[in-house]
Amino acid sequence: MPPAEPVAADSSPTDAALIAAWQGGDEQAAAELVRRHARALARFLAGAGAPEADLDDVVQETFIRAFRAVATFRGQCRFRTWLLTIGGNVLKDAHRRAKRGRVVPLGDELRSTDGDPHERAVAAEVEGRLGEEVQQLPRLQREVFLLRAQQGLEYDEIAAALGTTPGAARVHYHHAVRRLKECLK
Amino acid sequence: MKDDATFHDAELQDLAQRLGTRAAERLDVERTAQAVVARLREEAGAPARPSVWSQPAWLKIAAALVVVVGAGVVAQGVWPAPPGVALPVETVDLSDMSAPQLRELLRSVEQADAPEPVSSQDVGLEDLSPAQLRALLASLEMET
Repeated sequence: MPPAEPVAADSSPTDAALIAAWQGGDEQAAAELVRRHARALARFLAGAGAPEADLDDVVQETFIRAFRAVATFRGQCRFRTWLLTIGGNVLKDAHRRAKRGRVVPLGDELRSTDGDPHERAVAAEVEGRLGEEVQQLPRLQREVFLLRAQQGLEYDEIAAALGTTPGAARVHYHHAVRRLKECLK
Repeated sequence: MKDDATFHDAELQDLAQRLGTRAAERLDVERTAQAVVARLREEAGAPARPSVWSQPAWLKIAAALVVVVGAGVVAQGVWPAPPGVALPVETVDLSDMSAPQLRELLRSVEQADAPEPVSSQDVGLEDLSPAQLRALLASLEMET
């Protein structure tokens, strides 16, 4: 498991400083928070089943909701982790509205120029299956799995963000992994 | 992740880390940032809808009074007074009348289609039957 992506370089203002600046009316602070976390958020959302065509919209909506509710953010977890959980809610609402499944962009995998085209196609197919199986997981299992396996977060952080205990998060994670392994055999 | 006994599958780990990566890489982060800022600016500039509960207290009290009074007026119009409840009537004190006046009154009562007497312990002279009034008149004449 690689370490989680660095949230900010040493010379950059912290997330907390940017949040405070935005609350004080600095629009560029909000833009900087988006630049800093949009990619990780998009990866989480795409892994959780957001259709690529809608990814930008879902990312935007997540940030809007986060900025509206930022006064309720008490630092129980990192801003990024909190943002990802909001993204999970936005995605759930979007799925409820659209009632449509994830489209696996298999054609895009084939456009890649490096590696053996056949191997790339097989890898893309397996990845597509994993994506579909992740979507089938119960919501808590799915979010815990992605926060842990994809984002590299510790159970304490996951538990704080999802309002559960580290032990429960660990159990959700193990259930998810067992189920995914069975499906990918 | 060394403590994860079930997470030995390197393929699953690798796949999970790659999940959504390509789609995320195609996101135009700068465009997204500008779009979010624009939406936040729009929301901040939009006039806030005034809430009923944010009005001054006196206005709420006045509104409540209007509702209560209006409801009372409507209720009076919709529901008539229940049976048994006497409406206020203009009464005449017969005891102050002279004998000729009483006789005149008796005549007019006899001519009218008088209703059945009300059986009650507490009745006025206007509730007496012609026979009872006649008896009353006779007793008054005897007194005078």
